[in-house]
Amino acid sequence: MSLGVEEVRRIAELARLRISAREEATFAGQLSDIVDYIDQLREFDDGAASFEETETASDVADNDLPRPAAAAGPADLDETPLLDQFLDNAPASLDRFLLVPQVKATPGGDE
Amino acid sequence: MQPLTAEGLAAAIRSGERNAVDTVEAAFARIEKADGSVGAFLELWRDEATERAAGIDSRRDEGLPLGPLAGVPTALKDNMSLAGHELNCGSRILAGYRAPYTAGAVERLVAADAVPVGRVNMDEFAMGSSCENSALATTRNPWNLAMAPGGSSGGSAAAVAAAEVPLALGSDTGGSIRQPAAFCGVVGVKPTYGRVSRYGLVAFASSLDQIGPLARNVRDAALALGAIAGPDPRDSTCSEEPVSDFLEPIEDGIEGLKVGTIREVRTSSLEGDAARGFEQALEALARCGAELVEVSVPLVETAVATYYVLANSEASANLARFDGSRYGHRAAGARSLGEMYTDSRSEGFGPEVKRRIILGTFALSSGYYDAYYGRAARIAGALRQQFADAFEQAELLVTPTSPGGAFRLGERVDDPLAMYLSDVFTTPTSLAGIPGISVPCGLDSRGLPLGLQILARPFADGTALRAARAFERETGFECRPEPVQ
Repeated sequence: MSLGVEEVRRIAELARLRISAREEATFAGQLSDIVDYIDQLREFDDGAASFEETETASDVADNDLPRPAAAAGPADLDETPLLDQFLDNAPASLDRFLLVPQVKATPGGDE
Repeated sequence: MQPLTAEGLAAAIRSGERNAVDTVEAAFARIEKADGSVGAFLELWRDEATERAAGIDSRRDEGLPLGPLAGVPTALKDNMSLAGHELNCGSRILAGYRAPYTAGAVERLVAADAVPVGRVNMDEFAMGSSCENSALATTRNPWNLAMAPGGSSGGSAAAVAAAEVPLALGSDTGGSIRQPAAFCGVVGVKPTYGRVSRYGLVAFASSLDQIGPLARNVRDAALALGAIAGPDPRDSTCSEEPVSDFLEPIEDGIEGLKVGTIREVRTSSLEGDAARGFEQALEALARCGAELVEVSVPLVETAVATYYVLANSEASANLARFDGSRYGHRAAGARSLGEMYTDSRSEGFGPEVKRRIILGTFALSSGYYDAYYGRAARIAGALRQQFADAFEQAELLVTPTSPGGAFRLGERVDDPLAMYLSDVFTTPTSLAGIPGISVPCGLDSRGLPLGLQILARPFADGTALRAARAFERETGFECRPEPVQ
């Protein structure tokens, strides 16, 4: 099946991506080729086997014992509480909380 | 002069014949000399590496035992965490991100006394087969600087091939260790799924991702795999299956071992003289005493399509976490949370990552789920069963690693499907969760390396390594890329 520009835009929105008009056209062509190629799978699917049934690996459960959060690494890092290490990576934080733009729309706003 | 092996370096450092500090310094000197043209490294960890090496030397001087990789300079792919160090996954969206903890495989590597010297380039989020999707750097193939090193672990393969380091870790989701290893003339091991911990590896497709070593010879790869393999309760898919000694039986040869070729792997589709390279590889295996048989795995033909549905579906879910709120790039000026998500992702991800997220979102979306994700999952299950049946008739299977040697930088960037098809022989292994090793099998007419892929049953990684070693002994390939000598 081919994917049109409209369809690509709709899926991109679902994935929280904005793409330019030029990219939309390029992607529509490229993704159509890829989906066409993928469509060959139709003739191989007898609907029988399932992924889960033939799983070779089995899940391993953690023993849930407490342990220090950060093991190896530079000494100064070990002395920083883990929360601070995570917050150091945050684009914005306030009083040890992540700071993000307004979540709920104001009346008359865009979202 | 051929550079020392990881095994040889570690032995010399343990015995006191060499110092770890000098060894690490020599690696940095070599990187300085060669990496200007190769472009494998994104960052060097000079001070920390020197400090770690000094610690190894002083432990030896105190008569304390050293690990199997004592003082071996090692490169890490840019998607593995080492506490306190930046990690970008080849992407702008992770600019400035510092790992708060160390990956399980890297912990084991360091516990074996290897010395991480820096991080190396990769396709953004490991999505690519040429390293050209990196947002950070261009890496070149040491055998011909106009050629791609392969991908996504292109930096790992190029650094090892150029003798900048004897050892690198890569990750493989659909061929990302094996294909660059083949393109660069080095050995690359994708272990059995679950053999090596994925804790601290940035996730691409969690049901397929696996960390493995790249080295200049099979013994070094076996040594490294032995060091990083083993259980890790922090990765629920990491197996508790005991790790065997990969080195001890590695010289035992493959006399009388049944080695299968796959009927549906059509050598007629190989590029250039890759078919001849594969034929010669089969002759070498026969000279090693292998009994060659033919098996059938009809669904291998579907693997690329199946892989790109499953891997990208998982990626679309895994990459949802990069939204500008907790780490990495945040777009400026967003007025709402939703706008911040969309703007940050749109600015931070490159075109291939966007393409794949869109493809994965499509395959999982209402109305298409069963026709794409559901179907691919069923076919992957059937393919895994076909591999299990094939391994009833042969201990090992062999294929070319890639349809041809390295391609030119820029040649396939505008044709994603053509890029995907270079994974035609590596994706089936990934879907089946079985181990696959790429070992050099000579040069093509352009003087570029070709790889032989050796596959084994789940957790028979050691058998594949033993065969790879026998093959290497028989063919005597030397990794000596002219442009970086």
